[in-house]
Amino acid sequence: MRREKTAVLLFREDPREPLRPEEVTELRGLAEAAGYAVLAEVFQRRGRDRRFQLGRGKIVEAASYGPEKLIFNEPLSPGQIFNIGKEFELLAMDRFNLILEIFASRASTREAKLQVELARLSYEAPFVRTIESLKKLSERPGYRGSGSYDVSMYRDIKGRMAKIRAELRGVEETGVRRRERRREFGFDLVALAGYTNAGKSTLFNRLAEEAVAAKDQPFTTLSPTTRAVAAGDRRFLLTDTVGFIDDLPLFLIKAFRSTLAEIVEADLVLLVVDLSDPPEVLRERVASCHDALWDSGCYAPIVSVLNKVDRITLEEAAERCELLKDLAPSPVLVSAREGLGLDRLLELILERLPPLEEFIVCLPASEAGMGQLSRLYDVAEPLEVRYGEEVEVLLRGRREIVAKALKGAERQVPETDPEHGTEAEPKSEAEADLEPLPHEVGVTKG
Amino acid sequence: MDVVAVDISGRHAVAGRYIMVSASVAARISPEGIERTRRIRLVPRVADSVDMEVVIDLMEESVRGLTGVVLAERGDLYNLERWRVESILGRGFKYPESRGERRAMELAHHASFAGRRLALRLMEEGSESLER
Repeated sequence: MRREKTAVLLFREDPREPLRPEEVTELRGLAEAAGYAVLAEVFQRRGRDRRFQLGRGKIVEAASYGPEKLIFNEPLSPGQIFNIGKEFELLAMDRFNLILEIFASRASTREAKLQVELARLSYEAPFVRTIESLKKLSERPGYRGSGSYDVSMYRDIKGRMAKIRAELRGVEETGVRRRERRREFGFDLVALAGYTNAGKSTLFNRLAEEAVAAKDQPFTTLSPTTRAVAAGDRRFLLTDTVGFIDDLPLFLIKAFRSTLAEIVEADLVLLVVDLSDPPEVLRERVASCHDALWDSGCYAPIVSVLNKVDRITLEEAAERCELLKDLAPSPVLVSAREGLGLDRLLELILERLPPLEEFIVCLPASEAGMGQLSRLYDVAEPLEVRYGEEVEVLLRGRREIVAKALKGAERQVPETDPEHGTEAEPKSEAEADLEPLPHEVGVTKG
Repeated sequence: MDVVAVDISGRHAVAGRYIMVSASVAARISPEGIERTRRIRLVPRVADSVDMEVVIDLMEESVRGLTGVVLAERGDLYNLERWRVESILGRGFKYPESRGERRAMELAHHASFAGRRLALRLMEEGSESLER
């Protein structure tokens, strides 16, 4: 029978900044998500202890519960981990390391595994360096087991990190190509973003009628999943992504850059907010999402999906909407679990996606023209096609995608049939922007 | 929401003095970005230190007469709690949170940086206006 992992959670309350109950709940949730049975929670109000983070007495108290690990809410320095291991023969970890452990246990794709390994190595590299120098002072069991140290370990880690980065660059390029291809096919890209455990995967399942894993626990999703969603007369690609969390270290964000690229390059971001969060933390969590979006360079329009309204009363919902009014653009109240508010959400998505415009495109009545027409069928919605001396197509689509499709087609058309090149129709004011279209194709806005 | 984003450039000593330029951007913002920029004001200042008093004084002068909640980076105010800054300034204040607020701060930063470069050039060319 598999033995359950056990841990004691330790919190240090800064005398100037009281500990919020939500921090305790969040760390407990993270520990449980990592598979730990929490034996006890130990609190101390004091300044940071240089050796153990908390006072010696509190570490002794935590050790008395007999846990496998001590999990600290505050970040631990390499020296503190070393000291706790040496004095109390216990493994200590902080919040970041716990998040890494969850990521490691959930990573299923090659990309996610590489990202987690890179994040772990980035986190451990300075620790190894410190431990290597401390090791020279005395022996201790610990890092990488059985006290096996090597002075070259730091160099090995750096080498492995460089190798992973190179491999991830390849993955990123594949992602970029994939997104470009999706755009060429005329799809709008919509990404779900938000704090961890806000209900992104549940909403994704509702909108895409899918069945990806969605649980009431943080970091259920690590790798992005994309599915097509039909809404009204449009189809868009919806991507479920990894959730954000407060105070994520930069190396972790950098490691997940290729996943965040799905959000950065989206046409629209659905910012999912757990409206049942207590008001004290609600603002902070939404602000940390804005922070993460800003840091990752996401400038797409946002629709704020205020989720889990079924868990609160109408008065509470109104109060929290008021609280978030300067942080939540285009808000819509939703319950992904109960399927409430989804119609309004789809309406808002359609409103905020880049608009579709109608164009009349004149193509030569030749084999080359038919090739262009076929390409237009792929990327836009043809409303009417009139065949005459030339082919006149009335279509609806996104300006840049139609322009790109015609450009792409132009590249494929051999320049052997100049007599079929038709004269451009007199240009309207609107078509001036479509200048990049091939010169022999007349385009007017419908 | 109406905001006044303030950024101070030049918080490092040059020949023992701090040649600073504070830029204030009064704008109407949405959570996603800037809707309208109403006014941009640059205030130059040469000081012997960058303690809290000097920073607050410069900030006050910079935002005077501009309506809206004052925004500034945490570092500019030595990570002082929001309520403290509010009580010192005597008006609404917050650190940037939304993308729109960060965008306004970015604009203020570009303005103050460019303003300081201009101030340095003017000083090099012998203009005494800053000294006065």
